[in-house]
Amino acid sequence: MSVAAQYALSRAISGRARDVLKGRTLLAVMAIAFGVALGYAVHVINQSAVRELASGVALLSGAADLEVRGPREGFDEHLYPVLARDRDVQDASPVVEVDAKLAGARATLQVIGVDVFRARSITPALVGRGDDALDTLRPDAIFLTRAAARGLGVEPGQSLHLQAGLQVATLRVAGYVGDDGDRQYAVMDIAAVQDRFARDGRVTRVDLRLAPGVDRAAVARRLQASLPAGVHVAPPATTADAVTRFSRAYRVNLDVLALVALFTGAMLVYATQTLAVARRRTQFALLRTLGLSSRRLVAGVLGEAIVLGIVGAIVGLVAGYALALLALQRFGPDLGAGYFEPGAVRPSVDAWSILAFALLGVLAAVVGSLLPALDASHAAPAAALKAADADVVVPARSRPLAWIGLGAGAAMAFLPAVNELPIFGYLAIALILLGGILALPTLARALLHALPVPRHVPAALALSHLRATPGRFASMLAAVVASVALMSAMAIMVDSFRDSLDAWLRVMLPADIYVRTAGDTAFLSVADQQAISALPGVAHAEFMRATTISLDPARPPVVLLARDIDAHDASARLALVGASMVPRVDAPPPAWISEAVADAAHLRPGDTLTLPIAGRDVAFTVAGIWRDYARQQGSIVIERKRYAASSGDATVNEAALWLAQDARAGAVRNALLAYAGTGRLQVTTPGELRRLSLATFDRTFAVTYALEAAAVVIGLAGLSAALVAQTLARRREFGMLRHVGMPRRAIGRMLAIEGALLAATGVIVGFVLGFAISLILIHVVNRQSFHWGMDLHVPWPSLAALGAVLIVLAAATARLASNHATGQDAVRAVRDDW
Amino acid sequence: MVELRGIGKSFGRPVPRRVLHDVSLHVDRGERIAIVGASGVGKSTLLNVVAGLETVDEGHVIIDGHDLATLDDERKATLRRERLGFVFQAFHILPYLTVAQNVALPLALLGRRNAEADTRVHAMLASVGLADRAHGAPSELSGGELQRVAIARALVHRPALVLADEPTGNLDPDTARTVVATMHDAIGESGASLVLVTHSHTAAASADRVYRLTPSGLVLDRG
Amino acid sequence: MRRRHFLTLALGVAFARAEAEVRYPDVVAGAALAFPRDEGAHPAFRTEWWYVTGSLRDARQREYGFQLTFFRSRPGVAEASASAFAPRQLLFAHAALANPAQGRLAVDERAARAGFGLAYANEGRTDVAIDGASLVDRHGTYAAHLTARDFAFDLALTKTQPALLEGDAGFSRKSPAPLDASYYYSLPQLRAQGVLRHDGRSDDVSGVAWLDHEWSSRLLMSGAVGWDWTGINFDDGAALMAFRIRDAEGRAMWASATYRDRDGRTTTYAPQQVSFVAQSHWRSPRTGTDYPVAFAIRAGDIAVELDPLMLDQELDARAAIGVVYWEGAVRARIGGRAVGRGYLELTGYGKPLRI
Repeated sequence: MSVAAQYALSRAISGRARDVLKGRTLLAVMAIAFGVALGYAVHVINQSAVRELASGVALLSGAADLEVRGPREGFDEHLYPVLARDRDVQDASPVVEVDAKLAGARATLQVIGVDVFRARSITPALVGRGDDALDTLRPDAIFLTRAAARGLGVEPGQSLHLQAGLQVATLRVAGYVGDDGDRQYAVMDIAAVQDRFARDGRVTRVDLRLAPGVDRAAVARRLQASLPAGVHVAPPATTADAVTRFSRAYRVNLDVLALVALFTGAMLVYATQTLAVARRRTQFALLRTLGLSSRRLVAGVLGEAIVLGIVGAIVGLVAGYALALLALQRFGPDLGAGYFEPGAVRPSVDAWSILAFALLGVLAAVVGSLLPALDASHAAPAAALKAADADVVVPARSRPLAWIGLGAGAAMAFLPAVNELPIFGYLAIALILLGGILALPTLARALLHALPVPRHVPAALALSHLRATPGRFASMLAAVVASVALMSAMAIMVDSFRDSLDAWLRVMLPADIYVRTAGDTAFLSVADQQAISALPGVAHAEFMRATTISLDPARPPVVLLARDIDAHDASARLALVGASMVPRVDAPPPAWISEAVADAAHLRPGDTLTLPIAGRDVAFTVAGIWRDYARQQGSIVIERKRYAASSGDATVNEAALWLAQDARAGAVRNALLAYAGTGRLQVTTPGELRRLSLATFDRTFAVTYALEAAAVVIGLAGLSAALVAQTLARRREFGMLRHVGMPRRAIGRMLAIEGALLAATGVIVGFVLGFAISLILIHVVNRQSFHWGMDLHVPWPSLAALGAVLIVLAAATARLASNHATGQDAVRAVRDDW
Repeated sequence: MVELRGIGKSFGRPVPRRVLHDVSLHVDRGERIAIVGASGVGKSTLLNVVAGLETVDEGHVIIDGHDLATLDDERKATLRRERLGFVFQAFHILPYLTVAQNVALPLALLGRRNAEADTRVHAMLASVGLADRAHGAPSELSGGELQRVAIARALVHRPALVLADEPTGNLDPDTARTVVATMHDAIGESGASLVLVTHSHTAAASADRVYRLTPSGLVLDRG
Repeated sequence: MRRRHFLTLALGVAFARAEAEVRYPDVVAGAALAFPRDEGAHPAFRTEWWYVTGSLRDARQREYGFQLTFFRSRPGVAEASASAFAPRQLLFAHAALANPAQGRLAVDERAARAGFGLAYANEGRTDVAIDGASLVDRHGTYAAHLTARDFAFDLALTKTQPALLEGDAGFSRKSPAPLDASYYYSLPQLRAQGVLRHDGRSDDVSGVAWLDHEWSSRLLMSGAVGWDWTGINFDDGAALMAFRIRDAEGRAMWASATYRDRDGRTTTYAPQQVSFVAQSHWRSPRTGTDYPVAFAIRAGDIAVELDPLMLDQELDARAAIGVVYWEGAVRARIGGRAVGRGYLELTGYGKPLRI
């Protein structure tokens, strides 16, 4: 290569590098930065959450080699001495854990009852520290973590009121427990917890430390064989995994959403570079004729992309960290989804993820530049020199690739989950998106040719221009199409979800008043139940006992709901999906399982299901599968009378009340509160519950919406920038049109129509892709991640509004750009001399 | 038809560069005027002044009896649309329209999009010898052919005045001769006036009068 | 009297808060002890302990000291609890092996609430256990069992003499205040026989041991910072128990001694008849505390010199119970002649014991 060409190339590139901080290039950098920032922020938040969870489990299970765990209400305490005496067990520490309701408040506090003598060697984080060591044994003493004390606004010496049954237990804060971390829990003597919270004779966990040198797995197997039904022995890490797994699908979803932002960024780089390459085609052709090899040219263009990527990645990493910090402080590590306990978590930072996200940013920029770079290098120099403003060349191989992408994407949607994650679902979405974008020129041409040429000259000119240059505007549209597709897919999915949730709530909440006790420590005794049923104004009362049972130690425990339900009319109380049946008289009694349980255990109506109740295996017949949006870990409904007979436990935590015809809800509520005392029962109406549920739902998805909206803004910004750039590049054309008597306003109209047509094409293609993707989100990703089904519901008004806004904004941008492009400069641009 | 009286025009800030100084010109209906001059002397600016696309600092421009200073942008655009035709050095054929659509553009802007208009477009293309290329793309045409399309476009709506700015500047001498001949033939048929800016004597040769634009004004070169 | 620190400091800090709701029985003079009933636990009292010390020899005549102690405490909390975990009775065990070849004590300790058969102190006869460490009376022979990380023993301790009632027929005063007392008897001259496992080997051992059993509801008198105690099995079958309670200046605030000669005649000595005179000191390299590890003890006309089996018998129980003290096997001499073996306990020489 000649020196001159070297110089020209370096000028061409350094000139662009100078441009990095302005205009369209700045936008590309910002898009990369945005993608990296979101991706990194979500990653940091997730990592922090997982680390917090793992360290929490590590803290609370201490040096235990194995944990013996049972259902939520615990198991027979006499298992403890059996375990403690086992030949391979060195230390055994019994634990009774309850979520105690704070008297007069909705919140609950995790209260851990320990035997201080046993906990000392295994779980020092569960040993209280105070002025008086005997307080660790006193039944009125409670030790709080500093975070819990802060959260509750109490300090040692003050009183804490917890609800036990319908009574209030007044406890004395005797000191602190645990470290200075952010976990909130309380520790009491194990006997006090049993006494005060009606856990007599039961423990929920026994931590085991094994004798040195024994094989942990072998001991676990041996012990498991002797444990009663529903009690499992496993290393503490299994518990952490189970908890982590519970929220993993949600976290992966967030990660993918963040990558979507990065993808949109790559599309924007693609648009920027495509147009830049097209604009500089003559320049490149000149360089080629001066002896620059096409390899060097590609390297030069990619070099620019790497500069863009690095600048974007650095900005993005810094912004991402700040974002993560803010989000952790404001919303907690689950961004308000409710998987983790609230509390400030410090962001988790490691060099590898920083490097990974920096590389992702650069990769996005390089991938976005690859096609334009190849395009520039393939162009025949002579032709390029002549037709300086020809259309962007669409590589011929992109069309088959488009169909392959769309086809493969559709096929992958039918593949099962991998390791309980919808990997193929996500791949299908990516392929459909890529295929759609590659097919954009073809689709756009087809769409535009379907339109009749209007009589209106600006409109006719606009349509003609777009029809003639599908490659150019397809590249301008890539980012818009990607973001609109994802936004509309998300909107359809979320709306379907919300609509299904609303319908579900209506089925699940048939009564007039719902009464509930919070936490494990508050309950309604049989006497309470009778009293409530007999309250004036109450026509009919149904009660429910909610507890958890563990079907598999590697999974989170499943919620067992024992409720008053008519086996012949289960659909009156449950949102049944598909076929249901009534078990024969000689068959085991009915159980209705949620979709999550059905998926995990591969159960269908008619199958037999064994549930560990009160330490014994009890057989049930799967009578139906129901939709349960409230309990992602899975839930099983059985008849309350069966539960009471098997467990001897007739207490309940929820009641549904139907009012007499002339009764007023307010009066019944007051009667309930008068009976139980203020603050000990939550009394709600279905309306309030629905509002609350939907509000929680909206909060959970607010983050999702924000991410998607940001992607659309980036896409739109990219489109606007491209429109402005293109408009400026067409100044001479506008000058000619003014010469031939076309008013400036008409040119503005023409450009506005072009912008609107462009955006409309993007919106239509985006919506079509988005609809396909939403089907994958609903039927593949959600089903495989969360095991809940939903009915498709398209939010036409919001989608129409979104499309309209995009089209109007694009038209307005183009119109604004025309003001700069059709003025006196344009007039002068047509001539070649003064 | 065209009356220029004492036109003065400067460009640039803060130190204005005087481009036109005391330029006066009178063109009658059917007259063909050529203006020659050195590069950068302001020939194109003079054409834009005539077209109402540049305002003047001094003097008056009167087209068809209208003083342009009294017309707003809309009226000036209407005047251009109805009464003027343009031929540019760089052709300025829209690449995304067919040859016929390019020619039809002035008619379309006048709202004339009917069979009669189509006939007129084809007649114009035939008159510049490109009847068979009507539905082709501009990218398939040579420079000379593009300029002939531009001539057809400049005359298709029967303007009273054609303004041509270096129409042969981008063409080789042989082609230039053909194009100039085509232009004169076509204008002759239409009866329009012509103001031709050029530094080519070949192009200027067929004009009724030739003026030379100098920094101090317009000088009659050949009457 | 002795070893009260376990009761007062069992959880690392004193049980300072008196539990108002609990009324402990008083220790009163004149209540006759009855055996075997009083060899069992007295759960109503605040504190109680069984304290076995002794010296052992293996077949190669290597000498060891051992100590196995069970403490029972009724902290006075959760008295009304229905829970099987209710911490009404707490049990602590402590064991040490003095091996001159090692030069240091090997120790073990454990603590638990009574319950679930894992830890208990039964009534009726001596039967205490905590996580596999146990002391049980089987028809006049005590089975003492312990498995620690570094050592283990299984010993049969056979009574050769009747119980030695300390103080006034088992009513042992600790201060001038009449209610400041405990019920206290000793079983000296227990014949020990069994197996000792340590340092990776197992030795048949035999020797002589001493069992103290004491119960009370009172804490250490105010102003006291520690005490010195010894129990000696003389080779001729006689036995001597002596203790004194010291104030901050090292003066004896109270003292007592009981001597039973080989013919079974028992003499009890009043505070002013008992003296402890330090003969030499040993400074702990770990805590820097000076311990008077050799004593000249006088009780009436009996004068005995005590020399430690080995110097370093300091017990660091700070992690478990918050105190460091010296408790070790000693040899007894009269006029330079070896006359017996015993144990010496020295407390309160580091920082004063806080009650």
